[in-house]
Amino acid sequence: MADPLERLTNLVALLLEAREPLTLEQIADALGGQYPTGETARRGAFERDKAALRDGGVPIETEVLGGTRAGSTGYRIDRRRYELRLDLTPDETRALQMAVAAVHLRPDWSADALLKLGAADETDGADTTPSAMLSSLPSLPLLFEASTRRATVQFRYNGRARAVDPFGLLTRDGFWYVAGFDHGSGEQRTFRVDRIQSDVTMGVAGAFVVPPDFDLAHVLPEDPKAMGAPREAVVAVSAIRANKVAREVGEDAVVERRPDGSMLVRVPCGNLPAFRSWVLGLLDDAVVVGPAEVRADVATWLAAIAEPAGAA
Amino acid sequence: MLPWLMERGEVTVAGAAERFHVSEPHLIHDLEVASLCGLPPYVDELVDLWIEDGVIHMGVPRLFTRPLRLTAPEGFALLAAGRAAMALPGADPGGPLGRALEKLAATLGADDQPALVVDVERPPLLEMVQRAALDSERLAIEYYSAGRGELRSRAVDPQRVFITRGRWYLVADDSLAGPARTFRVDRIESATPTGEHFDHRDVPVERGDFFGDADTVDVTLLLPASAAWVAETYPVHAAEAEPDGRLRVRLAVASERWLERLLLRAGPEAEVVAPAGWADLGRDAAARLLARYP
Repeated sequence: MADPLERLTNLVALLLEAREPLTLEQIADALGGQYPTGETARRGAFERDKAALRDGGVPIETEVLGGTRAGSTGYRIDRRRYELRLDLTPDETRALQMAVAAVHLRPDWSADALLKLGAADETDGADTTPSAMLSSLPSLPLLFEASTRRATVQFRYNGRARAVDPFGLLTRDGFWYVAGFDHGSGEQRTFRVDRIQSDVTMGVAGAFVVPPDFDLAHVLPEDPKAMGAPREAVVAVSAIRANKVAREVGEDAVVERRPDGSMLVRVPCGNLPAFRSWVLGLLDDAVVVGPAEVRADVATWLAAIAEPAGAA
Repeated sequence: MLPWLMERGEVTVAGAAERFHVSEPHLIHDLEVASLCGLPPYVDELVDLWIEDGVIHMGVPRLFTRPLRLTAPEGFALLAAGRAAMALPGADPGGPLGRALEKLAATLGADDQPALVVDVERPPLLEMVQRAALDSERLAIEYYSAGRGELRSRAVDPQRVFITRGRWYLVADDSLAGPARTFRVDRIESATPTGEHFDHRDVPVERGDFFGDADTVDVTLLLPASAAWVAETYPVHAAEAEPDGRLRVRLAVASERWLERLLLRAGPEAEVVAPAGWADLGRDAAARLLARYP
């Protein structure tokens, strides 16, 4: 039996040189004796080789043939896709290498990539301040590939099976999001990738187009409190946290600055639970002044928590 | 491997074996196989390669003139790391990294639409703190301590600045609390360079998840399903679903105030199981705040 590496290398050479797609029969003939003779064993060996090459970044393309070979399946490697048309200058390669050293994602993924790009192996021990740790999830590369190839993905989310056309991935505050068109609801949606409840599977490429007005950078609301009705509450903030809150809501939202350093600010509260979380997160440093119904909502919530244990 | 060798023309067997993390016999075997490859009439030239005196010599084979295409995880990791690095202070979109990322995005088919966005918070004093760390210059800061709920002045020697879970942290020697304390950069209210300098130390960055400048208490909570965000947002030791649908969560807590904030947001159904002394923490905090809503 042929050395597996030799067979893979010969297969790549064969398919790159061929001027038309080759059937499995033609491949086995040309690689005389390197594939098993039995039909099932031959097919199995070929599928394993295809998988190994795909994992190595060399996708073998499949076509149904016409003409004299009508109906049979042909295989080819698109030479343009095979060649990595990435010509980096030395300073560009170095910059990528430093980015990978400074940003930890999945070390083995990027290290292999740098090898392929011919980047120097040795970091010179340069201090990588600042450094960043990006959370990573196993499904991210597949979701990313699906979005670049315009392939629909399937996954389970919130207890339901979904089919989504992924437009892009966004990471913010340590979470990853995939935004796209959700077939079930017929609307554009954004999903938290860490809440996907199953493996993600990918369909065929070129299944959709991304709307030209799609803005990935703004798929998430800037301020969760502002979702819903355009309503605002007035909040009194103590001197200690006044500056921080003013930076957060903007100077335009400051109603009054008092001599003791405390202040009154206007804060969006269309999304009442989000607003409540925000106000209570400030503990003793914030209290809702008005309107009355927003004050009452926060007071009711606090009263429920303050109930003695075992009370009805 | 072959394009790398080709680029260099001549490499020692030992050097190549180390570079690709394989044993020398393994490497020699692979190279011998590669040099035998070729299949007339489909391939006119064999891979031109020979080993002599422990040195690999390489000709220029037609087929392997370019490196293999990046796999999906590799392309994603490079682009994500690169875009994250571009979001850091001091990054220059027109510089080598920016240009490298444009080329990379084009190769991955991600250039006509931004298929990947890295959104990084930029607290106002980040650049100043970063500069102080690079220059080893002492800063006088006002810092909001979440545990104490107060603003305190202190002098810090910034050693390291990093971001994790979407938050920027500074590790610095602190005039109040001692060496290698961790601060949240977004809680620095003001910072003034002092003109004094110190000796830089290499402070290792914990790959683990929790950063604080105090001892922590092991806390066990029972949370309603609506408060599952606790386990998603904070690093927890354990999170298990109970038969009644609640979530039992174990986590490290740095201060009572921090836990008060969490309990008030988690709501009336949240319960502190351990330590027993903190069972009423949420209730007491709610009663305290409720007094301001007559």
